[in-house]
Amino acid sequence: MRIVTVIPAYNEETRIGAAVADALTYTQAVVVVDDCSRDRSGAVARAAGATVLRHAINRGQGAALQTATDYAILHLHPDVIVHFDADGQMQGCDIEALITPILLGQADIVLGSRFLGQVALNMPRARRLVLRAGVLFNYSVSGIWLTDSQNGFRALSRQAAQDIRITLDRMAHASEILDLIKVKSLRYQEQPVTIRYSQDTLKKSPSTWRALVIAKDLLKKKFVR
Amino acid sequence: MIFQIALVVFAVYAVFKTWKDYTARKVSKYWLVAVSFFWLVVAGVAITPQTTDIIAAEVGVGRGADLLVYIGIVVLFYIVHRLLLKQQQVSEEITELVRQIAIHRVDKP
Repeated sequence: MRIVTVIPAYNEETRIGAAVADALTYTQAVVVVDDCSRDRSGAVARAAGATVLRHAINRGQGAALQTATDYAILHLHPDVIVHFDADGQMQGCDIEALITPILLGQADIVLGSRFLGQVALNMPRARRLVLRAGVLFNYSVSGIWLTDSQNGFRALSRQAAQDIRITLDRMAHASEILDLIKVKSLRYQEQPVTIRYSQDTLKKSPSTWRALVIAKDLLKKKFVR
Repeated sequence: MIFQIALVVFAVYAVFKTWKDYTARKVSKYWLVAVSFFWLVVAGVAITPQTTDIIAAEVGVGRGADLLVYIGIVVLFYIVHRLLLKQQQVSEEITELVRQIAIHRVDKP
């Protein structure tokens, strides 16, 4: 079985090396899409052993994930694709639990959850509240009930990765994936994962602002397209 | 009176500018005709505003000026909607272009 991890990265030179090394311990290949970082994220990821693609213009996390997925399917022939973050919040040791239901043929996509089993470490109260509200919002929009609808740690079978084509370039792709799970009738499961927050990573994306942008992009897709 | 003169002057300028664009092959003759017609109507309404009162009465709106404002709002909403769709389409095309370039310039370990 060939497992490929894909990582979108934007200005993560201080953290991405460790994230790539961590993912490579548990998967055969790591594809990093450097989303036009102003720092040396791409070079650091490359030195850590990743295949690196670079967006000439910043297009957002969703676009970077889709670029990495397209490349992986075309050139690396994966059986399972794992979505992983560049900031070191996710733990490579959780990958095995995520991919197992797919390898056993029990699910097409497995979504990580910060609220199942072990609690997310150092998660601020405000972020917890926003994420809980996000669960309700996503349920009302996509009709899928999850304990953690905005978790970017997930594993997809090759077929599911081909079925799910992300068109929301920015942060709302997590909600779009849920929409597509419903539309494509994919079998899904949640698995507990550990997310470690640090002051550094929390500063990078304030949760309330992020939630508003996600809601705006999602509603725009529903009403404008 | 000043407003009317200013509107007529601007209409003449707009038609002149579109004519220049047409001679420079930047716009089609259909665009030239459409834009000229629009600004002729604007100039006509500016010179004889009472004509809009007749049309307004026909369609059930009290004053001609109100009718113009209503039409203006509807047209602006439509234009914003079209621009939003176009902007979305261009954004998707840029993403796809950036993606293809990234895939073809891959840096392998």
